[in-house]
Amino acid sequence: MKFDGTDFYAALIHELKNNLGVLSMTLERIPLLGEAEHDASVDSARLLCQNVVDRLHQALLIYKAANQPIHPVLDAYSPHDLVQEIAAGAKALAHGRLHVETSIAGDTPILWFFDRDLVEMALLNAIHNALTHARSTIRIEAEMEAGCLALRVRDDSPGYPEHILESVADGRPYAATGTGLGLQFARLIARSHDNRGRLGELRLGNDSGAVFSLLLP
Amino acid sequence: MSQPPAQDNDAFIDYGALRALVVDDSPGMRNALRLTLSNFGITKIQMVANAAEAIFQIKNRSYDFILCDFNLGVGRDGQQLLEELRHGNLIALETVFMMVTAESYYEKVVATAELAPDDYMIKPFSAELLCSRLTGILLRKRAFRDVYWHFQAQDLEASITACDALIHNKPKYAVDALRFKGELLVALGRFEEAEALYQQVVSMRAIPWARLGLARALHLQKKNEAAEEELRDVLERAPEMVAAYDLLSDVCLEKKDVAAAQEALEKGVAISAKTVRRQQKLGEVAYGNGDLDTARTAFDNVLEKGRHSIFVTPADFGNLCRVQLEQGDLEAVADTLKKNKSTLQANPEGQLVMAVTQSIAHTRTGNLSEAAKALDVVAGLRADGTRGDAQLMLDLAGACMANGRHEEADAVVAEVARNAHDSEALLAKAKRLYDEAGRTDAGASVLASATGDVRKLNNEGVVLAQRGDYKTAVEKLLTACSEAPYNPRILMNAVWVILKYIDQVGMDETMIETARTQLREAERQAPGHPRLAGLRLQMKDVETRFGIQRKAVR
Repeated sequence: MKFDGTDFYAALIHELKNNLGVLSMTLERIPLLGEAEHDASVDSARLLCQNVVDRLHQALLIYKAANQPIHPVLDAYSPHDLVQEIAAGAKALAHGRLHVETSIAGDTPILWFFDRDLVEMALLNAIHNALTHARSTIRIEAEMEAGCLALRVRDDSPGYPEHILESVADGRPYAATGTGLGLQFARLIARSHDNRGRLGELRLGNDSGAVFSLLLP
Repeated sequence: MSQPPAQDNDAFIDYGALRALVVDDSPGMRNALRLTLSNFGITKIQMVANAAEAIFQIKNRSYDFILCDFNLGVGRDGQQLLEELRHGNLIALETVFMMVTAESYYEKVVATAELAPDDYMIKPFSAELLCSRLTGILLRKRAFRDVYWHFQAQDLEASITACDALIHNKPKYAVDALRFKGELLVALGRFEEAEALYQQVVSMRAIPWARLGLARALHLQKKNEAAEEELRDVLERAPEMVAAYDLLSDVCLEKKDVAAAQEALEKGVAISAKTVRRQQKLGEVAYGNGDLDTARTAFDNVLEKGRHSIFVTPADFGNLCRVQLEQGDLEAVADTLKKNKSTLQANPEGQLVMAVTQSIAHTRTGNLSEAAKALDVVAGLRADGTRGDAQLMLDLAGACMANGRHEEADAVVAEVARNAHDSEALLAKAKRLYDEAGRTDAGASVLASATGDVRKLNNEGVVLAQRGDYKTAVEKLLTACSEAPYNPRILMNAVWVILKYIDQVGMDETMIETARTQLREAERQAPGHPRLAGLRLQMKDVETRFGIQRKAVR
């Protein structure tokens, strides 16, 4: 799966740098009040911001290899463990503000072959979206769909806007911003998973909220 | 038969009882990791700043969990620490070793390497993620308890049986069990079965370690064409998979395609320059190909990148100096010796490398009195039993000849030839030395008598053994061993004959102890030799039948 488009790369860097710069300055401007509850949330916000900065570093490392295709390193992993792991991470980030649920369908295989780090990175993008937009609940699911392992992140947000659904559906590179960046990246990760010519897919939909589905062959 | 302890099937993990070691050079990070671990109940935590402290702690007491940052500042890095721990058997298979790294690229480099950690964490990570990963590994290791127990008791057959049980009864660990079983089959020399096993995994999904395992099993059966085809295809899909280049170079070497072997190693080095053994091999192959520039860069890198690695030996200094000498760069030789003086002075092998190199350098510049002094130092070291690798000893022979010390030269060459009676390359190099010194006839007789004696003893021993006269065969081969104590082939033949002898006449404690010593020595001299696994198995078999149970290491 070849990552295409230096324009996209440049847009990504630009967008992320701006946003992070503004965000971290905003956070720095909030004064500590010597009041436990307030100070703790400021601290955790700063920490989270740092977390995002570091995530950017990770992403850059992958993009650095941008002139080469993404080569997933496949091994056998447990989808059950993965769902629990992602849910635990989402709960920690949600700080009790949102309800995090999991659901693993009976037909979910005990083992499946994928690149755990890449898949986690893709799902984390969806989690971050859900954390921002969900009203009360995030749901992480695994099931089989048409011979593929489907990993889903559902929320009860108003759903994805039409232009994002369209652009991900036809996979056209565009001047992505915000949510679109992570989704394009998730799509590349999905499509880098190739099982005898069958490629993985990213599917987005709205079903009483946003539904992010990663299909792994 | 002794039995492993009863299986504890409970999925509960008592983190309070877990002993953890955190290795990180940054005090802030150490503290953060300690807080993270205490978050999920790990309280017995030892914290150290570097690899040396880690090794000290690990030698003092055992740990259940080692969390180690890849980047440890100056000194060994996390990967070098792991290699040293695994190589020196300092940690049990049950111990969880997790690497913390700032880059996701690390995984690509080590994922299929034999010395991979149990898992790695990409910074920054949450306590939750660390906890769930650790729990997963601890549960897996618990499921593998029988497998590990038998393995550590050197009962590989039982270990395989335990793998089969996991494959059938614990689908979650089936693929991990297949992977371990594949390695056991290779260790036992059952390459055909290993090939079938890897083929079975590949048919599920072409995952990298299975494809590499398949290529290795093919290579070990000398199906080098098929192995090469597999590896080239793996590399086309995943060009960054360094372990595949290493194996490809072995395959090419066996096919005598030395240029392709060098090319494969160069590609591997371009992706990951830090692995000392890859650089060593590149240096050796390039030197053999006459590509001195590449050899020099590689040997330079061995010393540079491997400054803290246990895989660097005095021979590596000798290798670099040899290339520098052949390039006529005497200044560089002096520089290498000067820069590494304290390292080389620290042990007799290093002193030998230094003295041999100096003797050659002084001979080149015509400073014969200094050359003679250096050769006297060498003679003293050799009298005390110090030896160098075969290349260094041949260098020494050359220096002796150039200084008219022909008797010494003959003795050195004879020693090399006895111990490498079957190495065409070394014997040819020795022959060239005599040709260049205008002593072709003398050389022929030294080589013929040295290799002849050993070959004769060896062949007589083998023939006697085939006739069933194991007692005399043992005598012959033990004599051959004392003549050529560094010849792995002779050592292995001796082990084989002793085991046959015991088979015939019954247990002989002294003999079996001799066989054990020789086998250990052969393993040290020729690690990974295809005959070793079979001999180990026969040894085990004899020990079992005569009721000797070696205590399992728990």
